[in-house]
Amino acid sequence: MHEYLKLENISKRYDDKIAVDNLSLSVPKGSIYGVIGPNGAGKTTTIRMIMDIIAPDAGKVLINGQNAVADFKNKVGYLPEERGLYKKMTLEEIISLLAEIKGCSRNFINERIPIWLDKMSLGEYRKKKVEELSKGMQQKLQFITTLLHEPDLIILDELFSGLDPLNIELIKNILLEEKRRGTTILFSTHVMEQAEKLCDYICLINKGKKVLDGRLAEIKSRFGRNTVHVEAEGDTSFVRSLPGVEKVTEFNNYLELKLNETADSRAILKEIADRLMVRRFEMLTPSLYSIFIDIARVDPDELTRKEPAL
Amino acid sequence: MNKLWILIKSEYNQVVKKKSFLIGILLTPLFMVLVTVVPALLMAKKSATTEKTAIIDLDKQGIGEKFKEKLAEYKLDDGGPAYEVAEILTPDPLDSVSIATMKARLDSLILAKEIKSYLVISPDIENKDTAFIVAKSFGFRTSGRFERRLSDIVASLRLEKAKVGVSIDSVLHLTRSVILSEKAPGGRERDFLTVYLGGIIFVMIIFMTVIGYGQILMRAIIEEKNSRIMEVLVSSVSSFQLMASKIIGLGLANLTQVAIWIVIGMGIYAFRGNLDIRADIAEILFNPVFIFFFVVYLILGYIMYSSLFALIGAIVNTDKEAQNFIFPITMSLIFPVILASYFIQEPDSTTAIVLSLIPFFTPTMMILRLSFMGVETFSLSNPIILEAIIGIVITALADILIIWVTARIFRIGILMYGKRPTLPEIVKWVRHG
Repeated sequence: MHEYLKLENISKRYDDKIAVDNLSLSVPKGSIYGVIGPNGAGKTTTIRMIMDIIAPDAGKVLINGQNAVADFKNKVGYLPEERGLYKKMTLEEIISLLAEIKGCSRNFINERIPIWLDKMSLGEYRKKKVEELSKGMQQKLQFITTLLHEPDLIILDELFSGLDPLNIELIKNILLEEKRRGTTILFSTHVMEQAEKLCDYICLINKGKKVLDGRLAEIKSRFGRNTVHVEAEGDTSFVRSLPGVEKVTEFNNYLELKLNETADSRAILKEIADRLMVRRFEMLTPSLYSIFIDIARVDPDELTRKEPAL
Repeated sequence: MNKLWILIKSEYNQVVKKKSFLIGILLTPLFMVLVTVVPALLMAKKSATTEKTAIIDLDKQGIGEKFKEKLAEYKLDDGGPAYEVAEILTPDPLDSVSIATMKARLDSLILAKEIKSYLVISPDIENKDTAFIVAKSFGFRTSGRFERRLSDIVASLRLEKAKVGVSIDSVLHLTRSVILSEKAPGGRERDFLTVYLGGIIFVMIIFMTVIGYGQILMRAIIEEKNSRIMEVLVSSVSSFQLMASKIIGLGLANLTQVAIWIVIGMGIYAFRGNLDIRADIAEILFNPVFIFFFVVYLILGYIMYSSLFALIGAIVNTDKEAQNFIFPITMSLIFPVILASYFIQEPDSTTAIVLSLIPFFTPTMMILRLSFMGVETFSLSNPIILEAIIGIVITALADILIIWVTARIFRIGILMYGKRPTLPEIVKWVRHG
C-alpha cells in the first residue's frame, strides 16, 4: 500500500483543551479517505495541520514520505468548512485568481474554465458576479476553484455541510471521477451515512483521539453480521428485553438491534412476529453510525487494547 | 508568475477599477480648488470695482474734504479710482435728531447697495481719537487704509494747532512706517499663510490617503475573514504573502492617486493664466528635494499605518469593533497638524526635533518641518536634511518591527472567528508565533 499522506503522532493543544491527541493515520494514494467524528472531535484542526495553516505542537505530516515541500500547496485542492469567495468578482476572475496562485498558466486556466463551468452547468454565468449566484451555484463554483488546477490531493472539510441534495450527487460523481484520475481524496464529515457510501478508508475520531481506522469493508466485517434491522408496526419497546439483544438503536422508521454472540436470531424474529406485524427483518453489517456510537462510548485507550489496530 | 505579484495585481485592480477610486481622484483636488482658488478669484473680482463711500463729518474742520482727497490717491489695477466719496455731510445744527436721520438714510443706502460704507468722523476727533466706519462687511484692506489716512490728517491738524513750525508734509514724510516683508534664508520671500497652508496640504495628503487606504485594507481583511476566503487563500500562499500583497497592492493604488494629484497640481499651475498663485507654493510643488522626502515619507508612513490597520482587521470581527482601535491611530497621525501653528514659529526647536524623530509622528512631522524650514538642495550639512534622513532610517526600522509583529498576529488572527482575542492572548501569539 503506497501512502500518499501520513500523519505521525500529531498533537495540537489549545489553551484549555487538547484538540488533537497523538493522532496517526495513513492515506493510501488514490483512495477516498473519510475522517469521521462528531462536532468538536478535532477534524478541522487535523485538516488545518495537514494544510500547514497551523503547526502541530508535536508530530509530523508527511507527503509521499517527505516533510511537506514548498510546492505542496500547488498540488493540493482545499475546501474549508466555511466557504467564501470574493463577492464582487466575476466567476471567471475568481477562478483565474485562485488557479493562478496555485501556479497554473493562463493558457491552462483559459482552456479549463469553460469545461468546468459546463460540467457544473454554470456556463452562462461566466461573466456574472459571484454575488449574483444562488447559494447552490456558489457551492458548485467553490468546487471548481478547489479542483481546476488538477490537484494530487483533495482535502474537503465537512464535505456535505450546506450542500443541497442535488449537489451532493453531483459532487460525489465528480469526486469518483477525480479518484479514477488517481487523485487522493481526504474529507471530514459528521454525516456518517453519506461517508459510508463514498469512502474506501475511514478514521473515526472522538475528543481528538483516533477511535478506529482502516478499510471500511474490513471494519464492517470485523464488527460482524450481528446487526438486525427491524421494521414493524406497533409498540416495539419489548424488543429491548428479548434474550440475546444487547442494544437497540431507534431510527426514524426502523430499529437496529445489536445481538450478542449467543443470540438466536430466529428466536428473536419469531418473538417479534408473534406480537407485531413485521415488514422487514434484515441481518446485516452494522452501520458506521452504530459502530461509532458503540465505540465512542468507551474510552479510546481501552478500545485500542481490546481490539488491536488493523 | 510569482504568487505575491498575482495577489498584488488582484488587490490593486480591485481598488483601482472601482468607481470610488476615480471619484476620489477627481473630487479631492476639485474640493481643494474650491476652497483655495475660488475665494481668490472672487476677491480678485471684487477689488476690481470702485467702492462707493460717504462721510459724516461731525468735527466740521474740513477733515472730510481732506480725507476725500487722500482716498483719491488709491487706484485700481486698471487705473480707475479705488474709492468714490458719494457725499460729505456736515449736519448743522449738530443735534442728535438730525444726526440720527442722516445715519438712517445712509444705512438704507448701504442696504440698497448704493454705497458700500460710510465714515463717521466724531466731534473733537483730535482729542478723542475716535471715528467709526459703518458697512455690512469689512475688508481688512479698506479699514487699514481709512485708519492710516484719517490718522495722517488728524496728526497734521494737531501739528498745525501746536504751531510746531515744521511743515506737516515733512513730518508725515519723516514718520512714515517701514514695510516689513518675510523671507527665508536664501532670499526667497515667504508668507506665513502660504508656508503654513503649503505644509498642511502635504500633511493632509499623507493623512487622508493613509487613513483612507488603511481603512479599505482593514475592511477588506474583516470581510475576507468573515467570508472565510482567507482560509482558501492561505492554502495556496503563506499568510505573510497574503498580508504583504494587500499592503503593497493598496499602497500602489495610493501612490497612483497621489501621483495623479501631483500631475493635476502641476497642470493647474502651468495653466494658471492670471490666477494669483503664490510663488512659494510653486517652489514647494516643483522642489525635487521636498517631493523626494514627501514620497519617501508617504510610503514609510503608509506601510506603518496600514500594517497597524491590518493588525486591527486581523483581531476584530466587525467594523464596529474596529472603531475603538482606529481613534488612537487617527490621533497620532493628525497630532502634528494640531501642533503645526506652534512649529511654524520654531520648526527647529528641540521639542520639534524630538517629536519628529518619534516613528509614529515622523512621516507627518518631518514633512511639516521640511516645508516650514524650506529645503533648497540635497546637502547633508543642512541639519534638517540630515534629520530627515535619520527620520527615514528610524521610521524604516519601526516599519520592519511593526510588520514583524503584525505578521505574527495576522497569521493566527485571520483564522480566528467569533471571540475577539484578549491582550495576553495576542502577546502570546507574538511571542510564540
